[in-house]
Amino acid sequence: MRAHDCDRTQAEFSALLDNELSDDDRRVVMADLAACPLCAAALEELRVAVASLGKLKQGAPPTFLSDVQNQIRVRSKGRFFSKRWLLFGRIPFEWVSLVMILAMLAYYIVMMQSSPTGVTPVP
Amino acid sequence: MSLSERVLLVRLRERDEEAFSHIVKLYGDRVFNLVHRFIGNRSEAEDIAQEVFVTVFKSIETFRGESKFSTWLLRIAANHAKNRIKYLARRPGVGAQEVDDEATAAQTRPLQAHMPAPDALMEAAELGSLLELAISRLDEDQRMLILLRDVEELAYEEICEITGLPQGTVKSRLHRARLTLKALLESHTR
Repeated sequence: MRAHDCDRTQAEFSALLDNELSDDDRRVVMADLAACPLCAAALEELRVAVASLGKLKQGAPPTFLSDVQNQIRVRSKGRFFSKRWLLFGRIPFEWVSLVMILAMLAYYIVMMQSSPTGVTPVP
Repeated sequence: MSLSERVLLVRLRERDEEAFSHIVKLYGDRVFNLVHRFIGNRSEAEDIAQEVFVTVFKSIETFRGESKFSTWLLRIAANHAKNRIKYLARRPGVGAQEVDDEATAAQTRPLQAHMPAPDALMEAAELGSLLELAISRLDEDQRMLILLRDVEELAYEEICEITGLPQGTVKSRLHRARLTLKALLESHTR
């Protein structure tokens, strides 16, 4: 049986806590812990400290979502997360301009057909 | 990556506001918690956490799906937090390590962790403050590793992706960080 070395045993503590030790290494460390109350106490202290860290949860402030949305609205100059336009969402400028262009084109075609020269014939 | 996550990402790439709000609700607490524990200052943490999600909204196309979305998100959060620390360190009169009032108050009452507490809630609050203080005393690298592994409870693979460090380095540094943290806690409770 090898002589107990506290430093060597304690170097394995993190791996032991994270279940990263092989079965053989685990057996050796457990035997060392059984033989050395100092190492056992040190492991327990480390275990408590690590377990306590898992409880350090803190939620974002209640206004967090609206704050993020506001940031994006400001930076996108109102393109995103702007106030909804009545029941139809934000004003769809892309579609409005397309409809306008089509309407003007239709108007132009109708006008050309009724008077191709652009001059109204004198009756 | 799950199907619902993939659908959510497609919607995010289309700048779907609802999908984005869902992401903020889903991950807001984790991002805020990580950044707050790392920076130690609530108002700075709020600012950084918002910045993280603005970055996600702006650069979602750069996420190629090679890692989990949460890993990518936490990497952005970690980078923003580190950059803010550097920025604050350059500004005169602003302490990068400035910790919240609660943690600072804990430093002035170090004995209470071993004294019989009047009630369990108060004891838990004390321990939380002491931990917060001890974390703030770790160096940046150690602090980030402790937060990712022991607070956020991430797998080593995810931590490697976030920090860009090899697994062996992460493990050895984390071990040293835990020992330092334990020693700091002991020094505050003695």
